[in-house]
Amino acid sequence: MQRTDFKVDTVVIGSGPAGMAAAVAAAEEGAGVCVIEREERPGGILKQCIHDGFGLLQFQEKLTGPEYSYRYLQMVENLQIPVLTKTFLLEIQHKENGFRLILQNESGVFSLNPRAVIYAAGCREKTSRQVFLQGTRPAGVITAGTLQYMINIQGYLPAGKCVILGSGDIGLIMARRLTLEGAEVEGVYEIKSEPSGLTRNVAQCLEDYRIPLHLSHTVTEIHGTERLTGVTVARVDENFKPLSGTEKFVPVDTLVLSVGLIPENDIIESLGVELDSRTSGPVVDQYNMTSLEGLFVCGNALHVNDLVDYVSESGETAGRAAAEYAARGLNHGDSNGKRVNLTPGNGIMYVVPQQWKIPMEEETVFYFRSRETVFRAELEVAAGNQVICREKYPVLRPPEMERLVIEPYLIPPGTKEIQFRLRC
Amino acid sequence: MKRLAGVNKALHRNRLGEIGVEERKNAVRLTGKVDSREQYLKAGYIAAGRGYRGVINDIEVNAGGEGEMNLPSFQDNALEGKHFNVAVVGGGVIGAAIARELTRWNLDIVLLEKEEDLARHASSRNNGVIHPAFAPSPGTNKAYYNCFGNRLFNREAAELGIKIEWPGSMGLFTRRWMRLLMPFIRHRARQNGVRGVEYISPEKLKNLEPHVNRRFWGAVFFPETGNVSPYKLTIAYGENAAANGARVFLQTGVEGFTREQGRITGVQTNRGTFGADVVINAAGLWADRVAEMAGDRYYTIHARRGTIAVLDKKAGPLVNYNLGVLPLADTNTKGGGVTLSVDGNVLAGPTAEEVPRREDYSTSRLDIDFLFQQQMTLNELLRPDHAITYFAGNRACTFEEDFIVEPSPHVENLIHVAGMQSPGLTAVPAVSREVSRKAVDILSSYRNVDPDPGFSPYRKPPIELSRLSLEERSRVIKENPSYGRIVCRCEVVSEGEIIHSLQSPLGVFTLDGIKRRVRAGMGRCQGGFCTPRLVDILAREAGADVRQVRKSGPGSELVLKKTKGEVDYTGFKLKGVPGKKEEENSAADRF
Repeated sequence: MQRTDFKVDTVVIGSGPAGMAAAVAAAEEGAGVCVIEREERPGGILKQCIHDGFGLLQFQEKLTGPEYSYRYLQMVENLQIPVLTKTFLLEIQHKENGFRLILQNESGVFSLNPRAVIYAAGCREKTSRQVFLQGTRPAGVITAGTLQYMINIQGYLPAGKCVILGSGDIGLIMARRLTLEGAEVEGVYEIKSEPSGLTRNVAQCLEDYRIPLHLSHTVTEIHGTERLTGVTVARVDENFKPLSGTEKFVPVDTLVLSVGLIPENDIIESLGVELDSRTSGPVVDQYNMTSLEGLFVCGNALHVNDLVDYVSESGETAGRAAAEYAARGLNHGDSNGKRVNLTPGNGIMYVVPQQWKIPMEEETVFYFRSRETVFRAELEVAAGNQVICREKYPVLRPPEMERLVIEPYLIPPGTKEIQFRLRC
Repeated sequence: MKRLAGVNKALHRNRLGEIGVEERKNAVRLTGKVDSREQYLKAGYIAAGRGYRGVINDIEVNAGGEGEMNLPSFQDNALEGKHFNVAVVGGGVIGAAIARELTRWNLDIVLLEKEEDLARHASSRNNGVIHPAFAPSPGTNKAYYNCFGNRLFNREAAELGIKIEWPGSMGLFTRRWMRLLMPFIRHRARQNGVRGVEYISPEKLKNLEPHVNRRFWGAVFFPETGNVSPYKLTIAYGENAAANGARVFLQTGVEGFTREQGRITGVQTNRGTFGADVVINAAGLWADRVAEMAGDRYYTIHARRGTIAVLDKKAGPLVNYNLGVLPLADTNTKGGGVTLSVDGNVLAGPTAEEVPRREDYSTSRLDIDFLFQQQMTLNELLRPDHAITYFAGNRACTFEEDFIVEPSPHVENLIHVAGMQSPGLTAVPAVSREVSRKAVDILSSYRNVDPDPGFSPYRKPPIELSRLSLEERSRVIKENPSYGRIVCRCEVVSEGEIIHSLQSPLGVFTLDGIKRRVRAGMGRCQGGFCTPRLVDILAREAGADVRQVRKSGPGSELVLKKTKGEVDYTGFKLKGVPGKKEEENSAADRF
């Protein structure tokens, strides 16, 4: 086993928009940072997102995915942060004074021993069987992200005529992309009674191209032995059960799935990090630090975001805090683990971060999602039985994450729990 | 004629009186028409076990047939005019093992498989359990081959470089009084040659298997239960057979036989007609069709589907033993539970459901619900969201529900190996030895059959990074950097392992072929990340265009068209692919 010769105290796993933002923030705070990337080039999933709409918040500009990622890559290069590409994290061990990362690349197996680790490995797509689709397993069943990689990075078109299941953003974007590349999109089917993706994507990707969106519909069966020959679609009731008698066979050669993303935390889960079943990501504090001291998580590995700008923002939070931790240990170490728990109340799906460690020094950004679409919603943030903040929203939709900044001075001393809830 | 009257009477009793019954070469043949598949099966079972050699069930079902055998559509002359001493029909685990066993002798062997890879049907669609010989009734072929197959497995696996584990299994008691069955259980075990059977009290069970469902009243422990990867085993047999000189012909379907004076002289395939001294019918779900072509059909195969869920490796630590409910009687719906696998996943299933179409492997919501609600709950911590995928396989059952391992009395150079449902995988080492002996006996009657001095039972196992220490891993990478490039992130499979799997003597260049050999694409993302990369590796290694890369058989091509002309975006150099012109692309073969 070999050691690399550079000195690092903070290692970032993943060079997508979260990882690069974290690396930049940590380096600016003076940390010795190094980024691990398993692919050939940095950038993460943004490399394949050639559509625009990225960076409105971070750069006040409408950028494509590769442009957005290039901005961060330039910052990484200017700060001379080493990015080890084609390098794969095999194992992560927790040591008394930090972590031991076992890594592999074309030169062999080696280890790094940083004080702090920022985990920014993104998320993966749910597959047909993970949403319990039945039938056969032919070629031509593909997740939207894989399809996007093939079309945009490889230049391969794996679809002729297709059905898209799920109206998540990637599904909507791919409906447009497929159409532009000459494939035919028969329709987008969404099991819920409203779209799962951003409103702007429904307009720009479906309506502009006259692609039908079938709400309250799902695919019930996959047909074909070698290549897909078609799918059975059906209307569903309010419990998402297919209604018998509404089944229809749609002859297509490709089924594209956009049925949800799962934060990819399997390797840190093995360290016994506490997870939040609502986000499928770890429980973190205002510094994006997990229940394991020195391990920070950001971006889509923490919870699935819909805007890349928020992904980078969470990376910056983790990066600054990790640098601070690597240099000085826990600055909130004298708190004896005292903390305020953030919990989702009425109508709220989740709140991230889930903990606010004491002392609460700075204003903190919280992200939350509503459970269902609510018009003229009023959000209450309650510390114990005292409402400390009220916000009005013309509409809250589950696909559209909301961001709320809370000042620490608003929190009465002795508070144990802060609840986000909708006023009925 | 007494037997025939008996069958007739029993059919009448079951309101199946309109079914015609006749004797044919010591077998009983059923004819006529019924409305449902259930009636067809019922008639078959009624006719079985009445002293006949077998049941030929030619009853037509109005509700629909069994579907056609999927045969290769292309033709060539690769086999035309050739001659082999033994032709093995069927490249499942049984056929591959028999072919390998026969290469111990100085004989020309050919193994024929109609699909594009070995182990495409039942051999890759089961849970890989090496059973103790407890379930089969004493005195049956199943009991005999199960017992000896089980005992031979360690040696077989060591020779072939196949991973095998022996966690043992718990036959769970559903009733408190079932512990009183222990003397009978011990007796049955003695009869069948099962060793080490042990009573496990409810308290001990809780200790040994902490998450077992609390509704069970202890268990009987079978230490002779093991696990193996059934498709890796099949491929290993095939590769070892090929290394020892057997010819393996994939995408080669048997279409008929040439017969002269009670023996087979020629085997007709889509790749030409060749001569054979002995033919072994190991055709699995279609063994009765092959028997028919050979002029000796006396049994009928019907498909019983089993659905299996593959659970995330995270569930692995929750399970210590293979778990199943101890069946109270021999039933055909038995089986199933929670089993471990050598790759670290937990499997739940299989279910058991009769299906008409023999090659239909679609899953159904009903089966999955049964799996999740009944079988998975043997362990209290397993949840449906542990499932990363599920699949179905069809058992090739006869109405006698026993293995058929015997030379044909009517065709002097034909050997049947049929009805190899569970515990067929366990039986493989014993069955292959027996069948090879029988083939050699037939040949020895008119020629000398000598051992092949060049035979080596050993197959060099491929490098599996996951089984190496970090130091060994590093050494392998330094020798060959392609082992340093991880392609499948979930299962941590390197490009080197993938390339090596493509260089096997079987020469299979498909996505599923890679998956069965090195597990790329078998993890929690189910190929989401690695499929595009595998497409490029396959094209490069095969020297083919990406549009020719297939998931499995012909027709399963993945890329229909290129969008960017000849620009290579991936960093890979495609070798032997001439640059494509624009017009060629626009006319690209759309599916």
